[in-house]
Amino acid sequence: MDNLMSAAASGMKAQMESLEMLANNVANTGTVGFKSDREFYNLYTSPDASAAAADGFHPDASTLPVIERQWTDFSQGTLLPTGNPLDLALTGPGFFVVKSAAGPLYTRNGNFQLSKEGQLETQQGYAVEDDKGQPIQLDPAQRVDISADGVVRQQGQEIAQIAVVDFSKISGLAKRDGTYFQIDSNVVAPNPAKDTQVKQATLENSNVPAAEAAVRLVGVLRQFEMLQRAVSLGTQMDKSIQDIAKVTS
Amino acid sequence: MIRALFSAGSGMNAQQMSIDNIANNLANANTVGFKMRRTQFQDLIYQNYIQPGAAAGSQTVVPAGLQLGLGTRPVSNEVIFTQGSFQETDNPLDLVIQGRGFFQVRLPSGEVAYTRAGEFQLDRDGNIVTSTGDPIEPQITIPPQAQSITIGSDGTVSYTQPGQTASQVAGQIQLANFANPAGLNSLGTGLFTPTDASGDPTVGLPGGQEGLGTLQQGYVEQSNVSVVEEFINMIVSQRAYEANSKVVKAADEMYQDVNNISQ
Repeated sequence: MDNLMSAAASGMKAQMESLEMLANNVANTGTVGFKSDREFYNLYTSPDASAAAADGFHPDASTLPVIERQWTDFSQGTLLPTGNPLDLALTGPGFFVVKSAAGPLYTRNGNFQLSKEGQLETQQGYAVEDDKGQPIQLDPAQRVDISADGVVRQQGQEIAQIAVVDFSKISGLAKRDGTYFQIDSNVVAPNPAKDTQVKQATLENSNVPAAEAAVRLVGVLRQFEMLQRAVSLGTQMDKSIQDIAKVTS
Repeated sequence: MIRALFSAGSGMNAQQMSIDNIANNLANANTVGFKMRRTQFQDLIYQNYIQPGAAAGSQTVVPAGLQLGLGTRPVSNEVIFTQGSFQETDNPLDLVIQGRGFFQVRLPSGEVAYTRAGEFQLDRDGNIVTSTGDPIEPQITIPPQAQSITIGSDGTVSYTQPGQTASQVAGQIQLANFANPAGLNSLGTGLFTPTDASGDPTVGLPGGQEGLGTLQQGYVEQSNVSVVEEFINMIVSQRAYEANSKVVKAADEMYQDVNNISQ
């Protein structure tokens, strides 16, 4: 395969991965607390070529377009009033902290419920932590009031302060299923979030922009078609060369 | 590529379930004591191509990895126990609970079920029963010659006999509540049974310390379905379904292009 063909093929592969990411975003337009993924394109340079470049040679190195990594768009989703007092949304950066068997998980999905013991927990049964890392124990018979600063009160008594944390380097978080995030590299540590407000009886909807997704879908499709044409063109050129070089017997 | 097809397919499935749920909410918009359900979705597992934090060289680490998600799934459709609006009926056996409690009814199987639908009637033996004939628990019987039935806000059921001025107490209605009402199991006909998720019932008298609420005679509780909200949800679900079907189509076209390369 020559340069044209391999570059086009690599581009096609990257566009396919783009589509896969887009498909996941679109599928999750109704998922509370979901944050959409975007791709970072980069040029892949083969190890041989970069070694040559280090030695001062600049050969016509083959560079290929690849999706190097994705980045998660942590922008605010739209707020959805629900009327359920145990639905919480965050306005501003930050995450709720929940306790799972695999260590703390972080989420912006505030669709909480009470366990039968009266603990505040997620739909998956993970306990929501307060600012001291302890589960939040509530009296199920009483009304729950949660103020904008995250203080949980019942009958005017302060019960707990819901932990809301933020990260200095948010890209160190990896996605887990169920709209959870987990710390995946040791370069990030949670800090208490500043100026983030908790809104009771509200949920944060997914931040996938549906209209933009449709536009990007068309973009991916057309670029893919162009690359496919390039590959076809390459095949034709190869054939022409073979025709020229054909030795008549 | 096939992943994109299945991710979008999972989105279509989820939106379809959301529409099913909306249809049930709307169909029960006029059902007394009905509590709406809301579908919740969650994203599926992520396929890790490049692990975030993996070593990219001897000195550097990958700042963020490449993770591809595999779509969505409906995780729950929880019951939303907000109070419905009250409608006056003047029927002495129509009751509403102003609070979080549930009426207890004894099913034919002997099991106790819980309901918010307070449309009670008398059966031929004078027992207070639901519209499906299940007696209220604890059982309360009104003699056939009783003139007027009064139910106090604390659940005391009293009646007067002909020719007598003093009223007689027939019994007291008890209410129950759960730590997590959203975890109750719906039996249909407005009845719920406890599960491991809901916890065991706390039984008490109306107006008591348990916060179960007080009773109001002569009213029924309408469903808490907001028709406007359901219509908006329906539009959102329908459009999301459409968007997912577009992704399926795009994946199909790209696949076709791949097949056309080798011509």
